[in-house]
Amino acid sequence: MRDQIPNSGNRLWGWVHKNLFSSPLNTCLTLLSLAIIYALLVPAFNWLIVEAQWLGSTPQDCPDKSAACWPFIWARFDQFMYGLYPQAERWRINLGVGLGVLLTLPIFFPNFPRKAFVLIFLIVIVYPLIGMILFLGGQFGLAHVETSQWGGFFLTIVTAVFVLSTSLPLAVLLALGRQSSIPLIRIVSATWIELWRSVPALVVLFVAIIMFPLFMPAGWEIDKLLRALIALTILMSTYLAEAIRGALLSIPKEQYEAANALGLGYWQRTFLVVLPQAIPIALPQITSTFIGLFKETTILIIIGLFDLLGMVQIAATDPTWLSQGVSATAYLFVALFFWTSCFCLSRYSAYLERKISVSQFHQS
Amino acid sequence: MKRDLIYQFILLIIIACVAFVIITATQTNLERLGVVSSIDFLWKRAGFEIGQTLIAYDANATIARAFIVALLNTLLLAFVSIICASILGLVIGISRLSSNWLVSRLATAYVEVFRNIPSLLQIFFWYFVVLRSLPRSQDSYSLFDIFYLNNRGFYFPAPIIENGVFWIAISLILGITASFLFNSWAKKYQYKTGLAIPDFAISLLIAICVPMLILMLVGVAWEFPQLGRFSYKGGFVFMPEFISLVVGLSMYNATYISEIVRSSFKSVSWGQTEAAMSLGLSRQMVLRLIIFPQALRTMIPPLTTVYLNLFKSTSLAAAIAYPEIISVFVGTVNNLVGQPVIIMTLTLLVYTFVSLVIAMFLHWYNRRIAFMTGN
Repeated sequence: MRDQIPNSGNRLWGWVHKNLFSSPLNTCLTLLSLAIIYALLVPAFNWLIVEAQWLGSTPQDCPDKSAACWPFIWARFDQFMYGLYPQAERWRINLGVGLGVLLTLPIFFPNFPRKAFVLIFLIVIVYPLIGMILFLGGQFGLAHVETSQWGGFFLTIVTAVFVLSTSLPLAVLLALGRQSSIPLIRIVSATWIELWRSVPALVVLFVAIIMFPLFMPAGWEIDKLLRALIALTILMSTYLAEAIRGALLSIPKEQYEAANALGLGYWQRTFLVVLPQAIPIALPQITSTFIGLFKETTILIIIGLFDLLGMVQIAATDPTWLSQGVSATAYLFVALFFWTSCFCLSRYSAYLERKISVSQFHQS
Repeated sequence: MKRDLIYQFILLIIIACVAFVIITATQTNLERLGVVSSIDFLWKRAGFEIGQTLIAYDANATIARAFIVALLNTLLLAFVSIICASILGLVIGISRLSSNWLVSRLATAYVEVFRNIPSLLQIFFWYFVVLRSLPRSQDSYSLFDIFYLNNRGFYFPAPIIENGVFWIAISLILGITASFLFNSWAKKYQYKTGLAIPDFAISLLIAICVPMLILMLVGVAWEFPQLGRFSYKGGFVFMPEFISLVVGLSMYNATYISEIVRSSFKSVSWGQTEAAMSLGLSRQMVLRLIIFPQALRTMIPPLTTVYLNLFKSTSLAAAIAYPEIISVFVGTVNNLVGQPVIIMTLTLLVYTFVSLVIAMFLHWYNRRIAFMTGN
């Protein structure tokens, strides 16, 4: 056989021969790939390392208009993180986000007692309350901070967590509704889900921004950020509902029959037998939907809310800094942030998927 | 069963109450604002220009026409991006399965990098960084002095035909029909005689050449882009917004398509390849005749989701003011006439309708190839 590695010669050459130069076509492909890597890496290395400015914090530190300009990031770092949140109150954000990280710790302990239940309780009920009091203020002697001052990384995180925690319960209800034996409930849930799934997130946001004020009786007013959050919740709950429905369908019929035979009613059967099995199965899908939402938060900039990308976008158009190098560095900074978060989350999702397929393998 | 009825009754009452509150509140609010909801504004003069128009349009046209122009821009963006994303996704997906270590690693790196960066950020990068740094009109890149690329866009010659739309439509229909007819004749010929005709290449040739010939007979003049005082005039131009959207959206969605391609190629069992090779088919024929048609069947349902997502994310164009439905209709027109209820309803309807059409088309195609067993 042609592909056979010759026994003589060392193993490295054998590997290289087999994987890179086994045929003329393969050799061409290898050379082409090397050319691509060279063409991309060398300019990138020059731009990012050799020509780049790393130190300093003023526009004068970046004389070269096209090279990477890190002083811009250092100078505006606080703005990227906290938006326009008042300087003196920023400890509240640090505390709140720190608390949030603490609350998610149980995820990393596989043997935590009643993990799913505790997690859902903490994320859906406890944390949003604490967060609201801390971030919005106006109670317990904390100064009130308008949501129009929220921004940057903080707004991205608030959006993602708020939408996830409010849409999960809604999604469970919608998924159950779509599976319901009662025709009207089934039709209403299915229509609701399909309607919002076929429309871009941006349109839903515009509906919320433009139409919600019209829907409200006179004198009522909803905060702009809250309107956007509600819109994203509606969207996210329909996406998650589909994920959960898929998991519900994968629960064997015998489980329902056994629950009925034990004399459990609908709600007992759902919450004690079906959902505890369905939610873990749906978790990888839920995680990847959440990654999608996390990336989708960047569209808030279009309706005039400034999340991380929005803050960077404003800062990069500041005339004292304005240059190709500055905006490229700024986008690179945001890209690094999103890439790291999404990459870790998707690894976590893949880990969950492996764990589930292993446990199913053991069951059967 | 009695309880079911009660539940349905309660749900109905809740829906009715919510609808009642929303409708009355909207009515009083609109009255307070002095807005009378009617679709008459569609036939008023638009009074604004649009940067890219596929059909004749100027500021004197009606708002309805502006709406159609914007809708066509959305559809053009979606169509071009879907084609580019599919080709790129196919290439990357096959590269990931390559036995060449470097190629498959490069493809994996591509997928991991571009999938985890928000598409809006990618679009911003292409628009604000890459395309902004292109040269000005005076020193644009050119190819054979026919195509020009500068920071105002990509210019290329446009055909000028009398009664253009009519002849183009006729020639396209004829060309596609001819290639279909040839295709079915080639199939029949192969069943009868066993001789294979390179039907794909020839029918593609027919589909391209027949319209060309017809247009040539009708008489085509080409309008070349010419450098004017400030920018190029004449010919057709893809705006920088359009280019960066196509590049951003296709590079982002290609990562998802490549994953679909990879998993569906892997789902075709190795036995198929072995069987085909033992029949004496060449590697290329194995890929084209045995593996690809089987992989395609598992590909279509997940591809539908990606295509729908891509169509929906054309709305991101509003962020860089490419004149599509959201920026023209929800933005400009709504500011002009102040008819939020009708405008949002129309927008929702358009997106739902097009999504439905795409989903139905792919569903039909899926059914068609799924039943293609035996005869």
